[in-house]
Amino acid sequence: MNKAIVRVFIVCALLFLALIGNLTYLQVVAAHSLGNKPQNHLAVAQQLRVKRGLIRAFDGSVIAGVRQKAGNYYRTYPQGSFAAQLIGYDSARYGRSGLEQSLNDYLTGRAASLGVGSILDGLIGRQPKGADVTLSLVPAVQRVAQHELAGQHGAIVVIDPGTGALIASASAPTFSPANLDAQWATLVNSSGSPLLDRADQGLYPPGSSFKIVTAGAALDAGVVTPQSVYTDTGTYVVNGGKVVNFGGEIHGQNTLTQALTFSINTTFAKVGVQLGRQRLVAAMQRFGFWQRPPLELPPGQVAVSGRYRGSTELSPAAPMNPLDVAWASCGQEQDLASPLQMALVAAAVANDGKLMKPYVVQQVTAAGGHVARRAQPVEWMQALTPQAAAQLNQMMQQVVQVGTGTAAALSGIRVAGKTGTAETGRPTNQAWFIAFAPADAPRVAVAVTIENTPGTGGEVAAPLAAAVLRTALAQSSLP
Amino acid sequence: MSRRNRELLLLLMAGAIATIAYVSVYAGRFHQISRWSIIYAGIFAAIFGLLHVVVRLRLPQADPYPLPLAALLSSLGLAEVYRIDPPLALLQGRWLVVGAVVFGFTVLVVRDHVHLDRYRYLIGAVGLLLLLVTIVAGTEVNGAKLWLRFAGFSFQPSEFAKIAIVIFLAGYLNDNKEMLSVPTTHVLGVPIPPLKYFGPLVIMWVLSLALLVFMKDFGMGLLLLSAFVALIYMATSRLAYVAVGGVLFAAGAALAVQLVSHVHERVTVWIDPWSHAATSGYQVLQSLFTIADGGVTGSGLGHGFLLFSNGQPVVPEMPTDFIFAALANELGLLGGIGIVLCYLLFSWRGFRIAVWATDGFSKLLAAGLAATFAVQTFLIIGGVTRLIPLTGITLPFVSYGGSSLLANLMLLALLLMISHRTNVTRAGTQTERLRLARVA
Repeated sequence: MNKAIVRVFIVCALLFLALIGNLTYLQVVAAHSLGNKPQNHLAVAQQLRVKRGLIRAFDGSVIAGVRQKAGNYYRTYPQGSFAAQLIGYDSARYGRSGLEQSLNDYLTGRAASLGVGSILDGLIGRQPKGADVTLSLVPAVQRVAQHELAGQHGAIVVIDPGTGALIASASAPTFSPANLDAQWATLVNSSGSPLLDRADQGLYPPGSSFKIVTAGAALDAGVVTPQSVYTDTGTYVVNGGKVVNFGGEIHGQNTLTQALTFSINTTFAKVGVQLGRQRLVAAMQRFGFWQRPPLELPPGQVAVSGRYRGSTELSPAAPMNPLDVAWASCGQEQDLASPLQMALVAAAVANDGKLMKPYVVQQVTAAGGHVARRAQPVEWMQALTPQAAAQLNQMMQQVVQVGTGTAAALSGIRVAGKTGTAETGRPTNQAWFIAFAPADAPRVAVAVTIENTPGTGGEVAAPLAAAVLRTALAQSSLP
Repeated sequence: MSRRNRELLLLLMAGAIATIAYVSVYAGRFHQISRWSIIYAGIFAAIFGLLHVVVRLRLPQADPYPLPLAALLSSLGLAEVYRIDPPLALLQGRWLVVGAVVFGFTVLVVRDHVHLDRYRYLIGAVGLLLLLVTIVAGTEVNGAKLWLRFAGFSFQPSEFAKIAIVIFLAGYLNDNKEMLSVPTTHVLGVPIPPLKYFGPLVIMWVLSLALLVFMKDFGMGLLLLSAFVALIYMATSRLAYVAVGGVLFAAGAALAVQLVSHVHERVTVWIDPWSHAATSGYQVLQSLFTIADGGVTGSGLGHGFLLFSNGQPVVPEMPTDFIFAALANELGLLGGIGIVLCYLLFSWRGFRIAVWATDGFSKLLAAGLAATFAVQTFLIIGGVTRLIPLTGITLPFVSYGGSSLLANLMLLALLLMISHRTNVTRAGTQTERLRLARVA
């Protein structure tokens, strides 16, 4: 009898073993996939219980607030579509994007840096309180940027060149983040891709605005001076191909300053060939190309500027023949840059060649009131020598005074800028204007880009830059 | 260390764990550490302390392990029920007091389980009667007719019928095991014992299963069938019975899936809950999500996401059938395995008590109770973790439910009685032996 009893026990023990095995499968192996099942609404319900921290603009006004209803918390947006793509969304159904995603640990009060209080909350089971985040965005500037872009497809990025603080970041078309779930299908199917953060995620051929990089690299290398003289015949033949000017213009004899002022392609093609692939690419890297700008967004939302074949990033060491170098020097060929990157280019020139790390999180305030994190301006890279930066500054002022960028001129304030009108292979252009002001003591750098426009950068982008600069410089305090 | 002191030490450890559990659960609900959680733990400790005194006085040589294991499991259960639904925990606390009385009553009145053998037909008949009454007067809950309501109380007779039937079978099989082991005829190679001895078994078995089909309580039916097969095998050591039991189970299951819509649904949902995620598969999927959310270390007792903002548990029937999902969420894989191991240890002590017992009835009774206990645990934990189709059955000691708690405390009392008799018979003092003889 005992033998049979032991056997029955062994069967029971095996059944328990099967339970343990199955439990291990559920809680270890399948835990993640079960957590992400669309049928799993627990995560959704759990999320609604968290009172997220507020997201404020630089002046303290609330961008993303919170409202309680029946024990659950919902986001409110008192300023409507204010920097909607940058702020992002926190949807129980569609996940998170933008700062709502990258700052989630702060906003839900779970970040370790928020202090002992939040850890104790976790131990005692109290729902942690979200920390409030203050951004460097200046509402007046942001609103002007969004207003100027309305009805078009494009982006505006405004940076404080001295600190790297993001003053405004606008992407059009935009959306209203309230009731996102209800409009989700419309938004994702919309041809204008309103959810796309063009300012940080968009990659466009920079066109002639890129000539700042080429000129800076050549001045730095001592290959040219602002007075170097070139002769333009409308065409520059190199390596069996040719570089021509925009609109078939012929400028005759010109200095490098004039070449920038009137955006003469043949001269910049020659400068690029003189400089060579290696030095051009090295200068691009010093400006931040081939790196992800360290803005506090989810990495996937910040594009890496550089050279691309289709959607594939080419390595900095990728071979280029002299014709490639010639066109690349004019911001065409395989060059692609984000509006953020081009604003950084302008900011580097404005800040004596010193490129500051861009940031948008000004301050994080824990629920208890103590400041858990405060922005510290940090130098990212030395893009140019101060001397080359000063020369470029003068040259860029000429662009606005007498050149292609006169539409960006402001009364009483010297503006330095550069137009760009990139050919996209379609009948329309990618229009650019990058600038900073006041030129003698720069406080604001800006990049404006407009997609699919028949106009040039000087016509359609420069006036927007002027409006943004005017508003920004009228502010009593900037980050 | 004497058996009773070892038991006391283990009870103190279980009490310490219980105190931590109450403090944690209370803090999770009210965001504070309060003396009330300590008081709760104190009341709990007092109840089991009392049971320990009863055992110390009446069953001094009983096995020291089952009582602390039962204390640990019921304290965790009570804490988790409190965490989900405090008023329900208050009721469960009352049931625990009643259960302690039932335990004491069982120990003091029955005194020695061998008496039960004498009344086995009566006990078996009571078991069947309990099931019959439920069918006639029972209320249907969730597709199964398990409950008897009177005077404001709900009563689940099948929990007690289970124990009565095991007692009957242990007695009957012990008396007739030789006859049942010797087949007289073969049908298609299957040995058939004399009908005279086999007949009562078949009648009992068919009756109880038929009753359960009418009650639509597939879990209890499965449990009784397992107990039958295990007991016949242990009594006769003949695997042929297991084979026949297996075939009958397969046939019965196939028939039930075809005929009983409730069972059909359970099996369909088990195979593919995803296609029925919003309807019949909702409960088991919520259970899986809740368990998966716990991960390895769990969300912490009292800190898991078990309640919606309207106060409803995320898994329907969480305090009863799905209590394990709640515990696995909050205690994680480590705690979940710990609980399974507690059940394994309890069953192991039961089977060990059976192996050590000196007479056939004691052996079969202990082993039958241990097997029932183990299979019931497997059925419900396997069900909520989707290892097997879900059968609505309680998790012994842990689930909310008065009948289940009372029945399992009776089961515990019986196991302790059996081990006491064995230990006294094998190595007891003269006085103890005399007292046992006097009782018998």
